Amino acid sequence: MDNNLGRTGYRKSLGMSLLYTLPMFLITFMFITGGKPDFSDPASALAIGVTFLLVNVLYFLMHYTGKTDTYRAVLFIIFAMTLSYTLISNMVSMRHSMSFSEADIMECKIPFCHLVIPMMIIPAALTKSIIFPGTIIGGFANIASMVVLWLFATIALGRGFCSWGCFYGGWDDGFSRIRKKPIIRKLSESWKWMPFAALILISLTAALTLVPTYCDWICPFKAVTEFEEVTSVETAAKAGIFVSLFAGLVVVLPVITKKRTQCSFLCPLGAVNTLSNKVTPFTVKVDKERCNECFKCVEVCPLFAITREGIKDGNISLFCSKCGKCIDACSKNAIMYGIKGVPAGSMKNFPRNLFLFVSFLFMAVFSAGSIINSLQSLFHYIF
Amino acid sequence: MKKIKIIAGTIWALLCLLLILILFPGLNSFSGSAAKLPFMKINPNYSGGEVAKQIISKNYTIDIRKPVFDGLIKERKSGFVQIDWRGTIPDDITDTIDYDLDGNADFRIRIGRGVQLAEISSFNCKVRKILISTPTSYGWAVRVEVQK
Repeated sequence: MDNNLGRTGYRKSLGMSLLYTLPMFLITFMFITGGKPDFSDPASALAIGVTFLLVNVLYFLMHYTGKTDTYRAVLFIIFAMTLSYTLISNMVSMRHSMSFSEADIMECKIPFCHLVIPMMIIPAALTKSIIFPGTIIGGFANIASMVVLWLFATIALGRGFCSWGCFYGGWDDGFSRIRKKPIIRKLSESWKWMPFAALILISLTAALTLVPTYCDWICPFKAVTEFEEVTSVETAAKAGIFVSLFAGLVVVLPVITKKRTQCSFLCPLGAVNTLSNKVTPFTVKVDKERCNECFKCVEVCPLFAITREGIKDGNISLFCSKCGKCIDACSKNAIMYGIKGVPAGSMKNFPRNLFLFVSFLFMAVFSAGSIINSLQSLFHYIF
Repeated sequence: MKKIKIIAGTIWALLCLLLILILFPGLNSFSGSAAKLPFMKINPNYSGGEVAKQIISKNYTIDIRKPVFDGLIKERKSGFVQIDWRGTIPDDITDTIDYDLDGNADFRIRIGRGVQLAEISSFNCKVRKILISTPTSYGWAVRVEVQK
């Protein structure tokens, strides 16, 4: 069924690739169009058609070429950019600005995102309330829907959420791909524990102040979504912090290190998702017999999840986001997607096929709305 | 044991496939259920608290909300009371507010919408200062710092 072709050991024939793409084709058709494509607005119909084709062509190419990360990253980066465009255009059409006012906070009109979740937990348990000025249900990016989306995806994918579902991750992933070779090669792996420090710090400060401190003071992605109106020294300081962090951790450091530095060094939800890797059935495994210890995987891993010692022992750490970069880079096909409890390589390509279907389906449907919205705007502008 | 692990792992992986397959068609239903959880309400520090009293004038309504002192474990010494003006609000508002509903006026507030003016005259030592005075989609809102 699946033919091994050296470096791209997961390649399939054209027919098999089409066959593997068919379920994705049908399900994304149902989920994206609701089973009833609407051709009344040509620009909308074209946007839906292009989005539908894009996701299915990328999924087909994952099977046909055997490459995972290459095509995952295309959709992941498009998702990040189109979601920012959607959010910003929504803000501009509603408020004529990317910034929100005190009134928007008081009226609980702020769109919710998954990065707030770690800060919600202690106050939710002790005060039985959510410390975020958003809407619980209904409206754009409501709290209940975002929590459900994150929870289901995190149970299914573990930290895979960070590479297949997070609509911010595409920014530093994109910037980390700009240079062919990194300028800074040596970075201490101990930095990868920083998100746990950030998680503890922001959880405690959020609980004590009943303010989502990460969103309020730190989150670099406010630069590409929305931010508090600058009306005082305090709000100016907050703006200075998030702009600096975006420039440093999302743009400059990823470019010069080829690592996802915001995800690796700061994101508190990344720490929670790291722990969730204990729950998910999907994992990345090393076949020690095939491994020639070239450590290419250590070099390319964007999240410091692979160490030389780990490879020698045949282990990938919990920090793995299952992006597939190491799998694509391995010339010996010694790294592969696996299922917990199932010995590496014992079920041929079943773990990869199953993981790709689950993770790509989530990303395809989750990202579709933003991509369609952005394309609609583009087509309306062109035509 | 090895076989059991393989079967358990595979079943768990297939269940995760099912989880993602039902997620999007069932999102509204799951979100609706999640919204009913006891902690799924916005903290009064953001929502402004429940409306304690409504004063209906000719052209507008004044909502006096319950004072908010919410802290993580116990109430804080200092909090705020939110007053909302809804409807057709005149350019200059002057209203006397009894926020603790004891029958005595606690402060008089004057808002000049055109010049972004907000003044407070306190008749109660617990009333401190105006924290926020802002136009809203429904009219105007003010938060006044109060002590417990």
